[in-house]
Amino acid sequence: MGKMRQILCLILVCFALLGCSFQQQKHASRSIDKSGTLVLCLGGEISILNPILSSDSSSSSVEGPIFSGITKVSEDLEIIPDLARRWEVSPDGKTYTFYLRDDVKWHDGKPFTAHDAVFTFNSILDPKVNSVRRGDFIIEGAPIKFAAAGKYIFQAFLPKPFAPFLASMGMGMLPEHILKGKDINSSSFNQHPIGTGPFKFKEWISGDHVTLTRNEKYYGGSPLLSSLVFKIIPDENSRLIALEAGEVDESDIPPNDYSRVKKLEKVNVFEYDSLTYTYLGLNLARSIFKDKKVRQALAYGTDKKQLLNLIFRRLASPAYSPSAPVSWVYEDEVNKYPYDPEKAKKLLNGKPLEFTVLVNQGNKEREKAAVILQWQYKKIGVKVNVRVMEWSALLKIINSPKDPKDFDAVIIGWSLGLDPDSYSIWHSSQYPAGLNFIKYDNKEADRLLELGRTTTERAKRKAIYQRLQKIIADDQPYVFLWYPKSVVAVSKRVGGLSRPGPAGLFLNIEKVYVKE
Amino acid sequence: MKTYLIKRLLMLIPLLIGISLISFFVMHLAPGDPTALFTDPNVKPAELARIRANWGLDKPVIVQYFYWLKNAVRGDFGTAYLINRPVTEVIFERLPATLLLMGASMLITLLLAVPLGVISAIKKNKFFDHAVTVFSFIGMSIPSFWLVLMLMLLFSVQLNILPATGMYDPLIKSSSLFVRAGDLLRHLALPCLTMVIISLAGITRYTRASMLEVLRQNYVRTARAKGLPERIVLFKHALRNALLPLITLLGMMLPDLFAGAFIIETVFAWPGMGRLGVTAVFSRNYPVVMGVVMMSAFLIVIGNMLADICYAVADPRIRLERRD
Repeated sequence: MGKMRQILCLILVCFALLGCSFQQQKHASRSIDKSGTLVLCLGGEISILNPILSSDSSSSSVEGPIFSGITKVSEDLEIIPDLARRWEVSPDGKTYTFYLRDDVKWHDGKPFTAHDAVFTFNSILDPKVNSVRRGDFIIEGAPIKFAAAGKYIFQAFLPKPFAPFLASMGMGMLPEHILKGKDINSSSFNQHPIGTGPFKFKEWISGDHVTLTRNEKYYGGSPLLSSLVFKIIPDENSRLIALEAGEVDESDIPPNDYSRVKKLEKVNVFEYDSLTYTYLGLNLARSIFKDKKVRQALAYGTDKKQLLNLIFRRLASPAYSPSAPVSWVYEDEVNKYPYDPEKAKKLLNGKPLEFTVLVNQGNKEREKAAVILQWQYKKIGVKVNVRVMEWSALLKIINSPKDPKDFDAVIIGWSLGLDPDSYSIWHSSQYPAGLNFIKYDNKEADRLLELGRTTTERAKRKAIYQRLQKIIADDQPYVFLWYPKSVVAVSKRVGGLSRPGPAGLFLNIEKVYVKE
Repeated sequence: MKTYLIKRLLMLIPLLIGISLISFFVMHLAPGDPTALFTDPNVKPAELARIRANWGLDKPVIVQYFYWLKNAVRGDFGTAYLINRPVTEVIFERLPATLLLMGASMLITLLLAVPLGVISAIKKNKFFDHAVTVFSFIGMSIPSFWLVLMLMLLFSVQLNILPATGMYDPLIKSSSLFVRAGDLLRHLALPCLTMVIISLAGITRYTRASMLEVLRQNYVRTARAKGLPERIVLFKHALRNALLPLITLLGMMLPDLFAGAFIIETVFAWPGMGRLGVTAVFSRNYPVVMGVVMMSAFLIVIGNMLADICYAVADPRIRLERRD
């Protein structure tokens, strides 16, 4: 549950910046086992197998190989064609025309057409369908309209230009011939999904595992694996033991176990930057944090090097801005507030400061960070109280739509998605209801956020978001703490992995194989 | 006896309604709501409000309760959030795994603990008794998560003879019932062993205490005094009475049989009820929480009632008292 962070949209290209280890491709000498099964593991329970209804990462992981979207994400985090061969955008940026593949079949053999795409997006827009994705397709109160201009031509009409739109076209497609006229919320389809992806659904044993089998007629070529299993193992330590015992082929590695797993003979360990950052959010509605100098003093008083050494050793890097180094809009030239307790004291000017920081129970890294910050800030004369809370209770406080909210500060994280649009996090309209729960309010930032959404030209957008990062870093409404690295161990019998990166190692699952 | 039974059964109705009312309100008192977990910057607050309304969460809690109660008396416990399936279906899906694990471990625990407790009592303060006492306390005090990890490292990693996680081997292709049953037993071995080690101590101590209590009774002294062989004194006269309190214990264990064990299920990735219930509490999946709570409540009251009835059947003294 601690993993429940959030998805912002960012496209990333700068892989040169990544400190990744590439080792897997070399040892492909042993032959591919055409009847091989790959066993992946999931930490959380799977709730529902329908891409427009599910909202948890376990369900999404299983839906990935079953469903395909109009577009998909490449290793370089670019948006590339999937069910569409290509697309055109009208000069006014409001009409998107997608030319779909005509060789795609649903897992039950029926052809996939533009009508399925229209059906999927209209279902998301249906208020009776419990889809949290509905808001992605409503721009300032007006829904996007979808239509089929032919059997294989699919069009979207936007009420106004909206740059993040293309990123949301990766949504998995639903078959109209099965779901039309049915109650999508409660259909048995949600337990026996049919998609167009490289793997077909076979069985789901609740709480234990889901098995998928190869879709030989997959339009991207028959997958190399015969079947794919997702095994649910809620406990972190048990996942590692299952990996050691060979019951699963892959597992996330918590920072504490890194050195032990690195020594295991049977696995390769991959580390790569993720699209997430963790921060200390300061409630600007509280008088103590209204003064920018106080926020900057806290930033100067944060010894990030020591913090990361104590918590992660080297499996995280210090964060300075609301973007990630792997993002194509990342700006490194921001005010970084190097550790300087004297300067911090000077900025505080001897004023006494005391606040309480909330942190969610069970997230070891954040709990440790709260205690370390408490100790670091004591040195600059700031008293910090730490309050550890259950995740739902903490969310209730920061999400409650009232002004001011009942907290001083919180250690929490954002998980960034494919598009750099961060309107919902920083725009002043997103308070008190919305995710700008710290009440950040900067007119220039608001203007840039609005501009960034409607600008489609990449270079211009990049300049906009880089300017935004500088402004936010200067304002320091969050004390940015760290970018965690993803550490994943994969059995040495597995080949065909994608380049390590935020898109994951199993991005092109049809190309993944196991050796005999 | 018949009127007594009917009276007890009728008393269950207000009791269960009371339990459901309190649980429902306590559950809603906990901060947070089920849609809070859709924390994604692209999800608009208006969408969450719409979904809450679709789930009926926009109504006052008391109104929600009466809706729930109205359906519950007809056996409909509602639709689980997110999973979007009837709660009864979700619960019954997890029940077999829990019944198997809890049933097997309780049976083995009883088969071991009762003889151990009886022998300890007979051999009070001898070597055997001390050994059992020491082992009982070790079993009681070992943290279960640590014990589990050690067992897994030994049997699954070092010896590699038993699977560490899950209930089924997803790679088994054979559909032969024999192979599948064998696979199930192999997966059952470690969680079951852990449960036995953890619960053995308690029941052993309980049986020992109860047996000692009986051995101090006058009728045992009388039996010995009239020259009965020790074997008959112990097994015919003492043991039968010593085992009576076990009926209460069994009644108390009945709900556990269905409720499962959260920690053991989590570390062994066993797909049981414990995990279902705890996950539901953390994600504020109210219909599932209510379903699980009501099932446990029902089993607890039924367990108590059965224990009382069995006690009355087994122990003539109680029956006599009631007739007075």
